[in-house]
Amino acid sequence: MPQDYPLAPAWPLQTAPGETIPWQEKLKELPPILGDEAIVKKVWQDVDGLAYMYIWQLLLSF
Amino acid sequence: MSMEQLYQQRLKRYTTALKRGKPDRVPIRPFVAEFTAKVAGYTCQQVTQDFNLAFEAVIQSCRRFDWDAAVANMVYVWAGIPQAANLRYYAIPGVGLEPDVGFNYLEPPEDAAFMRADEYDALIKDPTGFLLNVWLPRVSRDVVTPGQPNTQRNNLAMLKGGMAVMSYFSAFPRQIQRMREEAGTVSAIAGILKAPLDILADKMRGYLGLCEDVIERPQKVRQACEALMPHLFHTALSSADPTKTVPIGLWLHRGCVPFISHDHFNALFWPTLKPIIEELWKRGHQTMFYAEGKWLPHLKAFGTLPEGSILFHCDRDDIFEVHRILGGRFPLSGGISNQLLAFGTPAEVREHVKKVIQGVAREGGYIADASAIVQNDATLENMQAMTQAVRDFGEY
Repeated sequence: MPQDYPLAPAWPLQTAPGETIPWQEKLKELPPILGDEAIVKKVWQDVDGLAYMYIWQLLLSF
Repeated sequence: MSMEQLYQQRLKRYTTALKRGKPDRVPIRPFVAEFTAKVAGYTCQQVTQDFNLAFEAVIQSCRRFDWDAAVANMVYVWAGIPQAANLRYYAIPGVGLEPDVGFNYLEPPEDAAFMRADEYDALIKDPTGFLLNVWLPRVSRDVVTPGQPNTQRNNLAMLKGGMAVMSYFSAFPRQIQRMREEAGTVSAIAGILKAPLDILADKMRGYLGLCEDVIERPQKVRQACEALMPHLFHTALSSADPTKTVPIGLWLHRGCVPFISHDHFNALFWPTLKPIIEELWKRGHQTMFYAEGKWLPHLKAFGTLPEGSILFHCDRDDIFEVHRILGGRFPLSGGISNQLLAFGTPAEVREHVKKVIQGVAREGGYIADASAIVQNDATLENMQAMTQAVRDFGEY
């Protein structure tokens, strides 16, 4: 998977900054998306990002 | 003058100094933590356990003292979060500690570090997965390791921990607005950053474990720092001030003398921190180096950062020497001795402030503050003396 985020190391990280379960992984679990895939993806990533924020804030701030 | 006019005046004063400019007078921005409890008549337990009381203590402090900027809550670790997640590494005032001492961070013994020496590869491959699956079950008494039998305590720790963080973070915009409307005070910083090596030392390997690792497995340490870099950058950027007005807080811990050697600073600490600062600066975000301890041997390295990209906060270094080395490139803050604020007299504080202002603020770019976070050992009289002295001697 390309690492198109800033300061990516020379090797691929299993999960990119901002995510805990990548959208492409989640997509495989879903039935065929017959509607707008973009909105499903956006909502998944927004909520997934909260879990990411939680664990990294716990590490850094608390 | 209305409260909003006062706020705008202070905002201009603070941001002018952040740009290394010369405002109408030296801004004052004390990082007051448990001191606010003293002002408001609360105990440390009250402001640590109940963030609404902590917020109220900040408001009362900002109303009482003529400060240009302050932190919305410098008793930042609201105990509700470590209690919800049942974290092992805090001692909370009133719970095993006397009610009127600050909270403590408890570093585990070397043989019980939250990350083991043979786990670097897992961290390097997937830092987020490592945090969720290995680190969190170790730092929490309730969270279970994946694959182990689940418990109600596990489910509750995850649920309550997440809800507690949301509850706390959601309260900050209103607090910042209260500071503006009720005291005319600017919220001084936004966002959080720590150096990759500091994270390894503080929360994973412990200081002693890291000391062993930088000798025994330096390549693994370097790779772990590199794996953390994009995540620390992302978290700093996503928590920063979207208007890019105030700096991101970088809390520097174990990278200074005498914790690590020059070689380890040059090979591990600095090459994995500097690119984060540069990336943030490219996006218009200044970083505040809250340089706890002594950093004089590394100031030349910091001087290689883009001009104006950081605000350097001086703790235990000689601020006049810091000014001589960095003053031409970056704004400075701090340098007012906490020992003096706790144990000196108002006259001694006043004389010290005068000396600092005359020595480092002449050309602008200086923000008056204590050397370190102000806890409840500082006296009300000395904090008033510091504030008044900045006003009396800080006119340009």
